[in-house]
Amino acid sequence: MMDTYLSPIWISVRTVLTATAITFFLGIGAAHWLGRYTGRFRSIMDGIFILPMVLPPTVVGFILLVIFGRNGPIGKILMEIGVNIIFSWWATVIAAVVMAFPLMYMTTRGAFEQVEPNIKDAARTLGASEWRVFWTVTMPLAWPGVAAATVLALARTLGEFGATLMLAGNIPGRTATIPVAIYFSIQANDYQSAAVMAGIVMIFSVVALAAVSYWQRRASRSRRVIIS
Amino acid sequence: MLKARIKRALPGFTLDIDLSLDRELMTILGQSGSGKTMTLACIAGLARPDEGRIELGGKVLFDSEAGINLPPQKRRVGFVFQDYALFPHMTVADNVAYSIHGLPSAEVKEKVSRLLGLMNVSPLADRYPRQLSGGQQQRVAIARALAPDPDILLLDEPFSALDTQLRERLEMELLELQREYRCSMLMVTHDLAEGYKLASRVAVYHAGRIEQCDLRERVFFAPLNRTVARLTGVRNIMVGAVTRFEPDHVWIHVRAWDSEIKCVLPPDMRLEVGQQAAVGIRPEYVELTDGCGENVFSARSLQVVRGISAVSYRFQLDCDREAAHLVSASIPAPGAFCAKTGESCRVHLPAAHLIVIPE
Repeated sequence: MMDTYLSPIWISVRTVLTATAITFFLGIGAAHWLGRYTGRFRSIMDGIFILPMVLPPTVVGFILLVIFGRNGPIGKILMEIGVNIIFSWWATVIAAVVMAFPLMYMTTRGAFEQVEPNIKDAARTLGASEWRVFWTVTMPLAWPGVAAATVLALARTLGEFGATLMLAGNIPGRTATIPVAIYFSIQANDYQSAAVMAGIVMIFSVVALAAVSYWQRRASRSRRVIIS
Repeated sequence: MLKARIKRALPGFTLDIDLSLDRELMTILGQSGSGKTMTLACIAGLARPDEGRIELGGKVLFDSEAGINLPPQKRRVGFVFQDYALFPHMTVADNVAYSIHGLPSAEVKEKVSRLLGLMNVSPLADRYPRQLSGGQQQRVAIARALAPDPDILLLDEPFSALDTQLRERLEMELLELQREYRCSMLMVTHDLAEGYKLASRVAVYHAGRIEQCDLRERVFFAPLNRTVARLTGVRNIMVGAVTRFEPDHVWIHVRAWDSEIKCVLPPDMRLEVGQQAAVGIRPEYVELTDGCGENVFSARSLQVVRGISAVSYRFQLDCDREAAHLVSASIPAPGAFCAKTGESCRVHLPAAHLIVIPE
């Protein structure tokens, strides 16, 4: 009986942590890169990065299925080295990363844009390399925003359902994350399991949102102090 | 030694300038939007000119033909921003030490405390920028810019946000700093008094070009054209024509007043009878008088504004029927006996202070 809860929780914990870690670096990298990129594809790239947020999750799942499928551009290459993504645990990670990425990217980019260009330029005239400017000036100043972005992304990976179901399916003990398991518990009339898992997700989400609002308040407060 | 030739086109505006300075403090004067800050950004490598060449201490920083464009990190240019741009998450000491973090820590400590002492902010070493006043922040910003021993210090309206007293004190400190270390400084300002007081030479910008770049006395007292005269605070600019000469003097007929006025002829100026010329005078040099004589006009005061140390007037000369050229005057308060609006008086435009601008 315990296994009904524990297995999805354990799968979700692993998926959420892995996907959030990947999203964290991808989102920061994309936000930093597009913040400096001034070419003509800027708007298009921005649109592509945000796309998963506006598309229905099933559409994203379908697109991923095509890309990672047996005959898809990436799936074909992976098949040759003997890796099959679809309906594996990695599929839950990929679906979660793709769905959480826009939140991480957008919030981080906003945080980077809040950093005064003059302050970064000052660091440059003081001899700091772009790498050092990023880690000693941009990141520390944008940190409250980046932290909020990470929490939002984490919550999104935890709640991911549609694309995960399309790409990873519902294989108990392998790909059945909490949201997927809740859905199939209801289908099987097992309301008790569904309630326990839903409760865990709700408690976690409330804590996460409170943390985000705390960080954002702190960020805006420190900005106000600097201005005054 | 800085030599900069910069061309940069933006929509509706082109910066095209050429200037050089060596171990002196030069100020750039001009209205906002004339390209002053852009010039500093190009020298520091924060903006890229379309064309030109920038050389600093024998090192080429930028050369469009040779394809050289050093990043700001490699230019050894100190930059003091208008809003100070201190790192808000670092203490004063860490701000100043930012550029010299590679040195042994004892050396860094020694240098930071020396710079903080130089700028009179030693007790603030452990404070954060938000805990400092504007003047203190600016002192720290200068100390931070000096830390890597730059070859030139660029200052972008550094004192514009400070109150008058503080501003004057910092101006004097900057002047002392420059005199003691004989370093090159290029400073943007829109404050005329500051531009004159601090600089040995002044560059006057207008619409992306340098109208005049010369010793401050020449820029302020022998402007090359009406734009420079206007931008350096000469008011009362009237157009007319040369009528006759006297030893060291020239008479100019002012059209709007249909009157002649006598001006001191600058030794190196060539004028001919009949030539168009403008003549102007700073409001501070206009005098009130009881007597008659050359350059004395009867007038009526249209506007009187009492200041602390001087009274500002707008006079309409009696010969100026159309009120085409009112005379602005700023007369030291003790000597301003024509007190009320509408009162008649006699205005003297001293020949020695009239500025002749050949057209």
